[in-house]
Amino acid sequence: MRSRATPYLLVGPATVLLLAFGVLPILVAAVVSLTNLDAAGLGDLSRVSGVGLANYAELFGDAAFWQAMRNTAFYVAVGVPSVVLVSLGIALLLNRSQGRFFRVLRSFYFLPAITGIVAIALVWGYLYNTQFGLLNYVLSLVGLGPVPWLSSPSLVKVSVALVAIWRGTGLNTIIFLAALQGVPKEYLEAAALDGASRLRTTWSVVLPLLRFAITFVTVTTVIAWLQFFDEAFVLTKGGPLGSSTSISLFLFQQGFAGARFGYASAGSVVLFVVIAAVTLLQLRARRADVEY
Amino acid sequence: MANSFLRRALVPVGLVAALALAACSTTGSTSPAATGSAPGASGAAAAPTGPLTVWVMGDTTAHFDALVKPFTQQTGIQVKTVAIPWDSVDQKFTTAVASGDGPDVLQVGLSKLRTYADTGALLPLDDATLAPYSHLASANFLDGVAGKATAVGGKVVSVPWISDTRVLFYRSDILSAAGISSPPATWDELRTDAKKLAARGPGQYGYYIPQWDSPLPVEMTWDFGGDIVGPDGAVNFDTPAFRKAVDLYTGLYADKSVPTNSDFDQTQGFVSGVAPMLVSGPYLAAAIKDAAPDLAGKWSVAQLPKGTTNTSLLAGSNMAVWAKTAHKAAALTLLDFLSQPATQVTWFGLNGDLPTVKAALADPTLTSDPLVSVYAAQLANAKIVPLVPNWDGATGKALLDALNSIALTGKDKEAALTSLFAATKGQSTN
Repeated sequence: MRSRATPYLLVGPATVLLLAFGVLPILVAAVVSLTNLDAAGLGDLSRVSGVGLANYAELFGDAAFWQAMRNTAFYVAVGVPSVVLVSLGIALLLNRSQGRFFRVLRSFYFLPAITGIVAIALVWGYLYNTQFGLLNYVLSLVGLGPVPWLSSPSLVKVSVALVAIWRGTGLNTIIFLAALQGVPKEYLEAAALDGASRLRTTWSVVLPLLRFAITFVTVTTVIAWLQFFDEAFVLTKGGPLGSSTSISLFLFQQGFAGARFGYASAGSVVLFVVIAAVTLLQLRARRADVEY
Repeated sequence: MANSFLRRALVPVGLVAALALAACSTTGSTSPAATGSAPGASGAAAAPTGPLTVWVMGDTTAHFDALVKPFTQQTGIQVKTVAIPWDSVDQKFTTAVASGDGPDVLQVGLSKLRTYADTGALLPLDDATLAPYSHLASANFLDGVAGKATAVGGKVVSVPWISDTRVLFYRSDILSAAGISSPPATWDELRTDAKKLAARGPGQYGYYIPQWDSPLPVEMTWDFGGDIVGPDGAVNFDTPAFRKAVDLYTGLYADKSVPTNSDFDQTQGFVSGVAPMLVSGPYLAAAIKDAAPDLAGKWSVAQLPKGTTNTSLLAGSNMAVWAKTAHKAAALTLLDFLSQPATQVTWFGLNGDLPTVKAALADPTLTSDPLVSVYAAQLANAKIVPLVPNWDGATGKALLDALNSIALTGKDKEAALTSLFAATKGQSTN
């Protein structure tokens, strides 16, 4: 008897946590998305009424929602490859030596990941400032005109994404470094004995062995960038004219600044479906991989 | 592993759901929440008793504690002050409404008043309720915020507390160097002067328009003799006065008189002289004095330029009583104390906030300061932004989006206005 109950006892706490903080909120959001819940409704639930799929219909007809979706697609398309490639490159270079200098460099690359986003955004905000920012000062030294880093609707997404790439690289570098330490020395020695160059060894031996780490980093990075929020919120509040608003920021504006909880819930359900679909696709793609 | 992916994917949903959960909890526990809101409640006695919990906006309670110390000595009502940082005001209030567990008295920014009142969390203050408190009579306050002026749906739910307005800041030294002897008295003059000042050289401007300042085009509309709400209370931008305001606003950009970058720093711009004129509030005067004390005498303030009139913005905060408070009489006694002219003058000294009580605005402590006397004169001719639901997120945002898309991205004026009319259709102060 005891042995039959044991497994349930062991998975119990984790399951309860997942249900309480994972599944239940989605269900609540799904229900709320079918109502017109707003600040007034919070105070007096009798003023909340079901509106069916009206929130979804309005959402799909909302130009601001599609602008936020396009912006998010841009962030993912630019941010994910950049973060994966840059952090992989840095990890490969850092892994060339275990010397003191390299260990210092390792902490250096990790610094952005553990620095508060508000401090980062403040500093970058000053770097980007059109009037007295460092970047424009440097450009002016070589005779280039002031660049409106955060003011131009076309440039602002790039500027904001750049900060997020810089910030997101550190943690993934550490993950890649850990994976690199796990590459068996025997393979590298065998490749060296066969006369393979460094580049060839990296390409044909090391990278295939990192496949799992690369998948892991890619999946988590895609999810993080689909939820892109912090940098845009602190640097630009989504402006100018909504051109740096991500979908999460759009939800925040509707839900908290606008107190339209039903509408924001509908958006969050859509975002959840998108993230779940993208993640499932990625996991399915990995299943086809050759396991070493 | 799959679990951790799933959990991360759930984060955005959780954000909204957490609030909804909080909302659900009220249905199950209305009565405990109501009594729980008043620690130490001993029932409504004849003499007002406390303790009162008061939410003030800002980062510190020290000034407010000092202000109400005499009140506690006179009445024996304890006051517990809680400072709510401006950034978290909305979350804090929403949580309080959802849980039913709020303060007894709270400061409400005028821009939030409509949203807060709509929740039913603020106690209606009808004439009969206010009658015993002589200092709360609406005749005592600035006309722009007194009584019905800040009523929501015809019901008064707050009393005026502090005020704020917009005036024209100008660099007298730079203006006179450009041959402009006095600050512009009309918006047309302002546009001409700004163009002249912008011609000082590359990187120099004549005026500054904060791209986030949604009341500015409303002030311009008022000054051209119009309004953005019709007599029926519905938002209406399709008026000749508003079109004049649009032409002025976008014209300043077309003249290249104003900087186009959204991260332009107004204090630095003013101190360095890059943008020697702008419309801003008393907080800018404090920022200038901080940033450049040696600039004294080279700048001043004037009332807004005229179109046909020069009505300015009346902003600031009111004080409201939580509808479920167990200490209604004590709360109203505190509001009465806060509305005494002497208290308002003391608060100006402590925190620098302008009074809403006319008698306090006429006090020599204030009128002796030349800047404050301009503010006080402007306050007499100032109006609040119409109390539509969600000005910042809906009507105000649509207004700024329309104007800035014309000014910054060259969008066709009629197309931008058409989408503004569509976006604000159905918005109303009722």
